[in-house]
Amino acid sequence: MKQWLLQVSALSKLSVLELYRRKDLAVVFLLAMIILLPLAFLAPFGVSGASRYVSELAMLLIWLFSIIIGLGVSVRLFPPEFESRTIYPLLAKPVGRGTVLFGKYLGALSASVSAVSVFYLAYAVLVGVRQGEWFAPVLFQAALLHVGFLIVITALTLLGSLVMTPSAALTLCALTAVGMLAFGQRLPSLAAAQTGPGRWVLLAIHWIAPHLEFFDVRQRLVHAWPCVEWRVCTAVLAYAVCYAGLCLALAGWAFRRKRL
Amino acid sequence: MDTVVIQNVSKRLGGTQAVNNLTLSVQPGEVLGFLGTNGAGKTTTIKMLLGLLTPDAGVISVLGGDPAVAAVRSRIGYMPETATYYPYLNLHELLFFYGGLCGMPRAAIRSRAGILIERVGLGAAAGRLLRTYSKGMLQRAGIAQALLHDPDLLILDEPLTGLDPLARIHFRDLILELREQGKTVFFSSHELTEAELICDRVAILKQGELVVCGAMHAIAGDGGQNLERVFLNVLGSDAAKGVLA
Repeated sequence: MKQWLLQVSALSKLSVLELYRRKDLAVVFLLAMIILLPLAFLAPFGVSGASRYVSELAMLLIWLFSIIIGLGVSVRLFPPEFESRTIYPLLAKPVGRGTVLFGKYLGALSASVSAVSVFYLAYAVLVGVRQGEWFAPVLFQAALLHVGFLIVITALTLLGSLVMTPSAALTLCALTAVGMLAFGQRLPSLAAAQTGPGRWVLLAIHWIAPHLEFFDVRQRLVHAWPCVEWRVCTAVLAYAVCYAGLCLALAGWAFRRKRL
Repeated sequence: MDTVVIQNVSKRLGGTQAVNNLTLSVQPGEVLGFLGTNGAGKTTTIKMLLGLLTPDAGVISVLGGDPAVAAVRSRIGYMPETATYYPYLNLHELLFFYGGLCGMPRAAIRSRAGILIERVGLGAAAGRLLRTYSKGMLQRAGIAQALLHDPDLLILDEPLTGLDPLARIHFRDLILELREQGKTVFFSSHELTEAELICDRVAILKQGELVVCGAMHAIAGDGGQNLERVFLNVLGSDAAKGVLA
């Protein structure tokens, strides 16, 4: 067990270190800060009560950047290992493929979560400056559910990168993320309005695709609504862990079948 | 007990018979040169020795066990043919990473890494990112990572590629030192002159089949032949083109 923990720790550290050294996270972070921080001091359209719109815009940017980071980080976990052939000395060490997969996944998740935490911190500062409220439980809940979103999206992208080309995985996962955030909740009603194969396609998407809209509580944050019940929040996080577990199990199967 | 036992092993990759009914063994403390032209099946055999590929037929035993088992691999050091490591790590970080994978405590990695970095002559460059390393420096980093956990068996795939003459001499000294320590070395190479200087035995592979296997003095020393001549005689004119290329 101790050796397994050492291995997982070494693998996840490698992923985090590489991702931060590549500096693309730093670029996204800087870009986010450049956009987010001035929002704290703007009075849009000269309307003093427009802070709600500023908050909405800031949250939209945080979600957009988190999708870019989550996908960008996890899609590059395995393809470069195969391209540069570092996978051979890696698997020649006394480490199982499942451990490699899990360690790398944890690394990608840690990197994404740490970047998104900084965004939420910046958002908290923004809200604090504009509204004088420095801590809201709903903000904590939103951040927690955002972590749930990252748990799912990084596992899904990792699976995609092992069964298709990195660009195809990136495109498909980006479409899934944006599509499910925008239309996930409406899929059953959209399916009910259809006849023929379209109905079955929508229903299949409803049952197979991850329900990422569960993790999106931006409106509660923007309109200062109360938190979602904590047991619901826990259930949603459990759903994230189960969905990610399924993706990782499939990724493990694909990794074992991959020709070296 | 032999360190490496390959018994009637065959492996087909795609439409090609990469290895065909190969039987070979390596004794403890022996340095075996595994020779052949490009596409002869050397790397496929090495991948099977590391448990990365499963043979279609036959049996492979390494250090008395199945190389697919992690405990067996913990006693094997491997250096790949194309030594490209993580470009955003420095050599210290690379060795800490591989040491972690081997389950080595940090203090043990630190002391062993320090010795090996000096041994491969990369002391001055150990803090630099690997993406700034030359091909020869990466090869030397590869040797350091292969030796990090003090393995009983060292498997080296084309280890001399990209090494300058001085580094080759150092590499040769290192292999001879490992042999004196009782380590077994299995290395594939195109460098026949080096193989002749280092190896106790050589095995020559042609289109996946073993065509020559024996003690160096028996196959190359006889009648004033050197290994290059033996290689050309055994593999014919196709091999000659390969060697010249």
